Amino acid sequence: MSFCLELHLQQSEDYKIIIKNAGFKEAKKIIEKHSPNRVYVKAGEKILGARIIGIPPIPIGIDDKESTVTLPYTKPCHGTAVVELPIEKEEIDKIKSIAIK
Amino acid sequence: MKKALLLLGCPEAPSQTPLAVYTTYKLKEIGYDVTIASTPSAKKLLEISDPENIYVTNKIDIETCLENLNEDEFDLLVGFVHKDAAVAYFVTFYHILNTKSVAITFEKDIDLLEKFIKDIQESTEADIISARAYHNPTPIRVKVDKYIKNLED
Repeated sequence: MSFCLELHLQQSEDYKIIIKNAGFKEAKKIIEKHSPNRVYVKAGEKILGARIIGIPPIPIGIDDKESTVTLPYTKPCHGTAVVELPIEKEEIDKIKSIAIK
Repeated sequence: MKKALLLLGCPEAPSQTPLAVYTTYKLKEIGYDVTIASTPSAKKLLEISDPENIYVTNKIDIETCLENLNEDEFDLLVGFVHKDAAVAYFVTFYHILNTKSVAITFEKDIDLLEKFIKDIQESTEADIISARAYHNPTPIRVKVDKYIKNLED
């Protein structure tokens, strides 16, 4: 079964919030500082079963060794959070395959 | 019939709901079929503002809309932008739809308003209607009238 970001954040405690209630550009800078290895994707791409929201290019931090990703998560009334969570290698490969840089 | 999607942000800005109902009315007058995408709380405000669905006939949850949205599904995107998150949503919808778009941008803080406008200009080619406004929808309403008149012409 494919990974579902919404469900994971609702039902699991296995993730880390690096910042919450931020502006998108602030979140973007935090991901770039936090994650030496990262890719960039277009706005609206399906990442981990959900469309990613933001101002493109949108950074996604990737830690291949720990098998984690760090990405922005935006909600209309709560601004943008940056979350780090563990995912399977095949999900990391899917993200890399749609990267624009 | 042309189709317009109105994208609402967080409903905490008092001008948003009346402007959404008003913009829907004006777009319907010039022949658009209008759908409003919003959060559940913004939807409740619309339902109470227009209890017999005289103006607002098509409503959809913003997340459901986003998940199923396809390029060119609408002829016009109208985004209500009064928070940083609303900029991110508008820009995302803009890039998925790839259609004519306008951001109705309003804030009481002039620095924030200018930041929202700059962020939209840097990442889209959308039209922008903007005014320093919060409680009073009139400054924006006047500009919406002018914009929709130009659409009609």
